[in-house]
Amino acid sequence: MKRRYERNIGTITEMEQQLLAGKSVCVVGCGGLGGGVIEGLVRMGVGRLTVIDGDVFDETNLNRQVLSNQDNLGHAKAVEARLQMKVINSDVQVDSIQALLDSDNARGLIYGHDAVVDALDNIEARLELEFACEEEKLPLIHGAIGGWNGQVAVVMPGMRLLHDIYDVEEAEEGEPEKPTNPAFTPAVVSAIQVVETVKVLLGREETLAGRLLTIDLLNQEYEIIEF
Amino acid sequence: MKITLAMRGTMKKKYGDEERILELPEGSTCHDALMSLGIDYRNNKTLGFVSVNKMRVDIHTELHEGDYLKAFSKVYGG
Repeated sequence: MKRRYERNIGTITEMEQQLLAGKSVCVVGCGGLGGGVIEGLVRMGVGRLTVIDGDVFDETNLNRQVLSNQDNLGHAKAVEARLQMKVINSDVQVDSIQALLDSDNARGLIYGHDAVVDALDNIEARLELEFACEEEKLPLIHGAIGGWNGQVAVVMPGMRLLHDIYDVEEAEEGEPEKPTNPAFTPAVVSAIQVVETVKVLLGREETLAGRLLTIDLLNQEYEIIEF
Repeated sequence: MKITLAMRGTMKKKYGDEERILELPEGSTCHDALMSLGIDYRNNKTLGFVSVNKMRVDIHTELHEGDYLKAFSKVYGG
């Protein structure tokens, strides 16, 4: 085992570390959540990532998106993710796709992975992703943020947890007021998404499958809701 | 019957962060509880879902004595 993974061992076993090297994850969204998720999975030693985003960095991303910096404004988020991860861990194969997920491409984008991470920023695409994961029978690690609040869940195929959280009719009509996004909320939520993704990949039983962890950082209230 | 109602997320900012004890007629639902306070969720894109005793339920689920109802805001940014 490589020395770079030495401090992982004890939290996970050497055998689990080897197992991670053979796994692949599709991360949809390379913004506030996606940046943290991608870096966490790469440092943990997950073997292959596909990172997807159709957007470019702009100045308003600098307060929270760890992949953004003053020199890469205007650059494609997915490409930047791939380039930056290569410097952190060149053992991990990172493929970037510049695309926005929709009903036409969702299944094709996630096909062939072991798990999918929802790091999107809108309800409509999240619901499409949940449908696609159900069709492809893939676990979906959901995360979302807004101001002081965040949430994480693991959606196993067929659960439709996101459809219970986000009303479909309202998704078609548009979204509620635009959320604010400080630095700390995506950091907390993306870290928990990494935790849940690793547990799912390793087949651990202690996941948030079928449950939603709700996080209120203003009042430091953490609550698990059963679905 | 008496139930407790609390808000979570931005629902707190909009409707207050205090727990409320509500006296409701038998057979009342989560919908009735919110409407009794003038919270018309149908015209309100802030509400995401409701839970009773830490279980997500449909908005038309009937409440019972001592239930703890929470109304969560939609959280969807990334």
